[in-house]
Amino acid sequence: MLTLNYIASFFLIVLGLYCIVVKYNLVKTVIGLSIMDYGVNLLIISIGYNGGTAPIFTEGELKAASFFVDPIPQALTLTSIVIGACVTAMSLSLVIKLKEMYGTLDTREIRRLRG
Amino acid sequence: MDAVLNALRYLGYVLIFPGFLFCFMTGLLLAGIDRKLVARMQKRVGPPILQPFYDFFKLCGKKTIVPAAANKTVFLLAPLLGLAALVVLQLFIPVFRIQLHLGGASRDVADVIVILYLLLIPAVSIILGGASTGSPYAGVGLSREMVTVLACELPLVLVLLGVGRYVGRDTAGGICFSLNQIVDYQMESGSLITKASLIPAAIAFLLVIPGETGNHPFDAAEAETEICEGMLAEYSGAPLGVFKLSHAIKMLTMTSLFVMLFFGGVGAGVEHLVALMGLTGGAAAAVVTILDILVMVLLCIVVTAVGISLVHAVTARLKIEQIFKYYWTVVSALALLSLVLVWYGL
Amino acid sequence: MSHINLIHLLNPQHFPIFTIMLYFLGAFLIVLFGKNRILRNCIAFIATGLSLTLLILLVKPIMINGGVIAYWMGNRVPAGGYAIGIALEVDALGLFFGLLVATAVFVSCLYSFSYMSEDDNEPQYYTLFLMLAGGVMGLVFSGDLFNMFIMVEILTFAAVALTAFRNRVTGALEAAFKYLVVGCIGSTCILAGTILLYHQAHTLNLAQLGTIIAGNLDKNTIIAFALLFIGFCTKAFIVPFHPLAADAHGAAPAPVSVLISGVLTKSGIYGIIRLAYFLFQLMNLGAVQFWLVFLGSVSMFVCVTMALAQHDFKRLLAFHSISQIGYVLAAVGLSTALGASAGLYHAMNHTLFKGLLFLTAGAVLHETGTTDLGKLGGLSKKMPWTTVLFLIGAASISGIPPFNGFASKWLIYQATYEKAVETGNIGFAFVTIVALVTSTLTLASFVKVTQSVFFGQLPKECEKAKEVSFGMRFAMSILALLCILTGLLPNLVQKYLTQPAAATLFNVNKYINAMLGTGLPESGAAEFKPIGVWNPVNWLMLLMIALLAICIVAIASKYDAVRENKTEKVAAKYSLFYGGEETEFSQVGGGDLFWGFKHNWRHYFSFMHDLHSGIVNDYSLWAVVALALAMVYALIVL
Repeated sequence: MLTLNYIASFFLIVLGLYCIVVKYNLVKTVIGLSIMDYGVNLLIISIGYNGGTAPIFTEGELKAASFFVDPIPQALTLTSIVIGACVTAMSLSLVIKLKEMYGTLDTREIRRLRG
Repeated sequence: MDAVLNALRYLGYVLIFPGFLFCFMTGLLLAGIDRKLVARMQKRVGPPILQPFYDFFKLCGKKTIVPAAANKTVFLLAPLLGLAALVVLQLFIPVFRIQLHLGGASRDVADVIVILYLLLIPAVSIILGGASTGSPYAGVGLSREMVTVLACELPLVLVLLGVGRYVGRDTAGGICFSLNQIVDYQMESGSLITKASLIPAAIAFLLVIPGETGNHPFDAAEAETEICEGMLAEYSGAPLGVFKLSHAIKMLTMTSLFVMLFFGGVGAGVEHLVALMGLTGGAAAAVVTILDILVMVLLCIVVTAVGISLVHAVTARLKIEQIFKYYWTVVSALALLSLVLVWYGL
Repeated sequence: MSHINLIHLLNPQHFPIFTIMLYFLGAFLIVLFGKNRILRNCIAFIATGLSLTLLILLVKPIMINGGVIAYWMGNRVPAGGYAIGIALEVDALGLFFGLLVATAVFVSCLYSFSYMSEDDNEPQYYTLFLMLAGGVMGLVFSGDLFNMFIMVEILTFAAVALTAFRNRVTGALEAAFKYLVVGCIGSTCILAGTILLYHQAHTLNLAQLGTIIAGNLDKNTIIAFALLFIGFCTKAFIVPFHPLAADAHGAAPAPVSVLISGVLTKSGIYGIIRLAYFLFQLMNLGAVQFWLVFLGSVSMFVCVTMALAQHDFKRLLAFHSISQIGYVLAAVGLSTALGASAGLYHAMNHTLFKGLLFLTAGAVLHETGTTDLGKLGGLSKKMPWTTVLFLIGAASISGIPPFNGFASKWLIYQATYEKAVETGNIGFAFVTIVALVTSTLTLASFVKVTQSVFFGQLPKECEKAKEVSFGMRFAMSILALLCILTGLLPNLVQKYLTQPAAATLFNVNKYINAMLGTGLPESGAAEFKPIGVWNPVNWLMLLMIALLAICIVAIASKYDAVRENKTEKVAAKYSLFYGGEETEFSQVGGGDLFWGFKHNWRHYFSFMHDLHSGIVNDYSLWAVVALALAMVYALIVL
């Protein structure tokens, strides 16, 4: 089952990169960024998963025999999701401004800085 | 007391020998000889050998006109800075056995790679001076000057790296860039010009000299017939004289650098000669010193004759892109050949 | 009780977290109270100034006494052999970069006070500014990989937002978007690399990762290395990520350019050093050395040629910035003590001179409203101070003795050539040659700027320009002074700053011991053996004597007494020589210079021009290709 997770996360990352590289629409570029981010999140979660329970314990409950998933990757994923949301928000706001200024969303036309 | 003596000694170095006075006399002499030789090669009578001296004093007596568009401070200061930098640079080039101990613990202040960069300061100062006038001729001129400097840089670097590796082979670090040590090495084991692997480097350096000094045929930057002397177009009077003097001193700097890099072994011969004459003690030392200087000046004249005058007489001025191409292909290839030969132990 | 606490807080142990917190706290407070101009400037000044002071206080215990500060947040020290808590660790290397960051931030903050005073949304500017500073400071002090990633994200966001800050400027939004996209690919690489390492080692602590990974690599960790490496490369804008830097610098306000160039690129270099030297300890492998040195050489050469083709002041500076970073990377990649010291020295000088140059560019923009080299000229008469400061910066970056750029480049030449001789590999000698030639190309490029901005003829549009305010000049003067001092006193700089920092690279176990208390054997003092001689103070003394003597003669002979003929009214009209024609405006523009050089390289230049197409897809493709190449190369050689 986990192999499938890894394949899926790899697929998502590559799909995101493909989207960024190939698609000429700014919104699609942003979507590509998000997909790539989801891929990495899936990777993190899969790495932390070992079949145990959720790592939520109070002081007394935690015993040596407790079997739970690694909590660190989950914390990392949370952070990563937050950052991913920031990326999307920020890039979409830039896209809006770009559309106002250039009148287009085509990356091939948004290239005043070159050479 | 020591400090005062030291200060006086430094002052003497800077002002008299091998600093200002020496540079002034020898540099202008070289320029005069160059003009005479070129003239004779072209079957002209040519000016008297002392003509550059006359020119210099004449220019100093003339009126200085600062163009309205110019930045006066830079316009007037740039020639002086260039001259001072050149004079100081000359202190770091030993005259065979006469090696000044200016650097405290290590006797050098600057080794040969640093000298390469110190050579940029006169070039930059003339560029700044030209740029400060606002003349379009100066703009074209400084562009060409910079390209010429750029063109000469690659072969010079290659030559110096090759020499440094060759001389440093037997030392602990494997590399030696100290000019004093390079001269010492040659006095022990013969001039570098006699080493087969360094002959291409010597030729390359010889070809770089006219480019670095801005002499014909590499004088696109100051082409009189085309862009009215480029950066000097607006200069008149004493500042112009100082630039002309700097140009003459640069000839001395480059030729003496060549002599010390490739003919350093000649100094050993001088000592033998004095020993043959049967002199000892203080007298011998004095004679050696004087002979050293004379021999170096003589060699500089020879190098000027071959490297500058002869090339001047037989060629026509190159275009700037040709200069660049020439240095980065032919001359660099020669220097690179030397570097590779030295690298693989020849 | 509070009394005891206060004394406890003065323990240098706490200084690193204070410096980071001061920036973030400042950012937060400015959001709250930023409406008031004076209050806002006070908060920014205190935050940046106090951070710098705290770091300077750390020089003695860390740089001179060789201590390392390991600081566990909430005092969660390692238990059961696992470092779970969040740690800060400051060794000489971290402190060195921290000092660079704090200095650049402080100076550009001073500059911002007058430079940004006419912009709207000033509070937001300072908030982002301090966020960026805090992000970089957190990155260099962080003791674990995930916090490095967080800080990378914070600084990327702040930098993107600051790039787009003046969003009416042509290209600002565009540059920000491109930077965001490729920067995010880089950040994602860092995250993916981090998590792959976590998978192998089950820890995120740098020191512990070092003990676990180094020496037993498998395919996972090799891929992780390539991912992290490319991630930090995007932060340092190493080729092929250089177009982003150029775009971002051109659009961002000048003080932000100082941060992007002086601080952000350093964070990338710092990341690469931590990665290669500490985490993976791979630098004794010839293949990795080759990798870094090759990338560095390519960066220095490609970017300097790109810079030669530019006609915008700030864009040109941006390309030079990356070119100089190439020097740093190449020198650090040599993996010799001299090379590391030289590289760090150059990193420091890069912050100083590049900051100075960007600030002068900002001053020009502030006064004339443009940075197009074709539209400027003759400003030296209007802005003499700025001109002098610019010339100092230009001489520094072009490696003209005795300024600081020369001192460090000089060490880099020696280090590369020494390495070539030691290994008998002529390839390193070519690096020396590239470095030497690049330095002259840099000079050419700055001659172009000098001619087309500060000298030449004054166009009509620039006639209203005047000298910038004292605040801006003061900030620039600090950097100029530092440029001169670090150039004149290379021995002191090396002894107290760069050599302690470089020594840590060859004594990794000290870092690990300080953090985990494992007691691994530490290596002895690193050996710095320069082969060249350069004594700037003596040279300057001699030059001063010569210059004084010549000036005295010149003044005595009335060299500067300009004898203008007042009766000839016509003289002003024909003030320049035009072969007898009447004077007219004819500036030789920057684009027209160096034709002789460009003509020979025309195919290369047109190829490079077409390559930098400005389309974000192309730049992303470069990133992906670079990532793929890095992975393949790493898998083959490691």
